[in-house]
Amino acid sequence: MIPLVGVINVKHWPRSRSFRLWIPLFLLWLLLLPFAILLLPIFCVVCLVCRVNPFQAIATFWSILAGLRDTHIEIDNRDALVLIRIL
Amino acid sequence: MNEHRRQILEMLSQGKITADEAERLIAALDKNAASESATVGRTTPTTRYKYLRVLVDSDSGGNPHQGPVKVNIRVPMNLLRAGVRLAGLIPPQARDHVNQALRQKGIPFDINQIKPDNLEDLVDQLNELTIDVDANNKGGSGEEKVKVRVFCE
Repeated sequence: MIPLVGVINVKHWPRSRSFRLWIPLFLLWLLLLPFAILLLPIFCVVCLVCRVNPFQAIATFWSILAGLRDTHIEIDNRDALVLIRIL
Repeated sequence: MNEHRRQILEMLSQGKITADEAERLIAALDKNAASESATVGRTTPTTRYKYLRVLVDSDSGGNPHQGPVKVNIRVPMNLLRAGVRLAGLIPPQARDHVNQALRQKGIPFDINQIKPDNLEDLVDQLNELTIDVDANNKGGSGEEKVKVRVFCE
């Protein structure tokens, strides 16, 4: 399943200064869906010109998108803490 | 011969139990052993880990301009699988360029040899990957300690 929410959390020193952003990715996918449908024929033509199986390409991109779920990146140093989570 | 079976036979030889009782006990032992081996067989398939973890813990050793840095990255294995599948999408004309660039860098590797099955094996072998790096760098501003761990969980 593709990720539905992204969380970006930035805490500056002192840690009371915090910035937390929830990105509703499911809305983003809904917004991008019409564009994706419009661009699909062009994408298929480009794939065929490059001699790449368009179905295989779509499946691979879809699996990359789905694989992003549960990604967790956390970087903490003296000045700030940056946390990126994809749920 | 295991210990329980030996005890049963000893009890039989000492006349504490009859031959029928001994037979029933041995049958019960065999039944238990069979069910235990079946349970073990079910619970020991190769573990498929879900994430690749990268942990970096760096301590600058008192450097006032650079504090401790901690990095904690968790990458889903499914993302790695999908990523390596991208290699299959490289157009044939681009593969020659990639091979040529690799040869120029001194890497005699033919990207045409990468097959989806091989890639799956490659990612599966990552399950047993564990990298531990523990380094101490002595510089002008003090001792810097760096610990890097890469493993699957």
